[in-house]
Amino acid sequence: MASADVEAVDFEPEEDDLMDEDGAAEADASPRAPFPKLKSAITGGASSSLSGGPKKTKGRGFREESDRNTRLAGSDFDSLKSADGPGPQRSIEGWIILVTGVHEEAQEDDLQNAFGEFGEIKNLHLNLDRRTGFVKGYALIEYESFEEAEKAISAMDGAELLTQIINVDWAFSHGPIRRKNARPARERRSRSPRRRY
Amino acid sequence: MAAEDLENGEFYLRYYVGHKGKFGHEFLEFEFRPDGKLRYANNSNYKNDTMIRKEVYLTPAVLRECRRIISDSEIMKEDDNNWPEPDRVGRQELEIVMGNEHISFTTSKIGSLVDVQSSKDPEGLRIFYYLVQDLKCFVFSLISLHFKIKPI
Repeated sequence: MASADVEAVDFEPEEDDLMDEDGAAEADASPRAPFPKLKSAITGGASSSLSGGPKKTKGRGFREESDRNTRLAGSDFDSLKSADGPGPQRSIEGWIILVTGVHEEAQEDDLQNAFGEFGEIKNLHLNLDRRTGFVKGYALIEYESFEEAEKAISAMDGAELLTQIINVDWAFSHGPIRRKNARPARERRSRSPRRRY
Repeated sequence: MAAEDLENGEFYLRYYVGHKGKFGHEFLEFEFRPDGKLRYANNSNYKNDTMIRKEVYLTPAVLRECRRIISDSEIMKEDDNNWPEPDRVGRQELEIVMGNEHISFTTSKIGSLVDVQSSKDPEGLRIFYYLVQDLKCFVFSLISLHFKIKPI
């Protein structure tokens, strides 16, 4: 089935270049390959060599028919338009950063105090673990300006908050993650330094 | 889980919950792709609501936190063999690729912990039940902060 091959490209984990969304969109409009074919696209191929051999699979989802391919496929997903190139992406009203390694007993005030000095915090999400009721371990903070968010990241990444080391980084990005170990061979070769004579 | 597994290796996650009924196919679904793309779809036909479909690229830091939540839950050790099967009331699907493991679990909708307790695998189903809530909470925060919408 031709559509199976197209789908495999769409989900190829190795793909680290900017995805051709238009191309993918046309592919997505075509009739879908059955569920198991998509599975093999995720597990199979060169990717398994990265993580050491074939994957162990488990669950009824591998044995049941599903109509998932008609749902998350397609190109008509809304996204915020942004400039090309790498780097953080602005959200609709500001810049969002992620704080990880947050102490389970942290309060919103602790984050306000630590992060408020870089600019007014427009939004703070300090989500709780649904089982324990303690802080899950991360916080999302919104600043109005890029500069405020950038200052917070450079000052607080690796800092200590309530006895724990926290990490701070941007939450959203302009484009796909580029995986260093997933470059096509030809591209790696082209980057090697010139030979000296 | 070893630290290197959090940093390297493949990662993919998809969660679906939905049912087909009087208002058509109503569902919520989200997906974290290996390249960082988060896709979110929420289709409710009730009162002619339209489908919400959003996508945004996440940084490696956000994917790493997602992986941490999953590995802390130890969901990869579970099995859906003894979980209630999807039924007319609804269906949930959780598919995760992490390291060299790939799970694709299905079960019915879980109304409350009473359903968990009365199942044949309360311990495993409880892990699923709380993980799904934690993941939804994470995704809803990301989507609502980025797009300024109420995701549900």
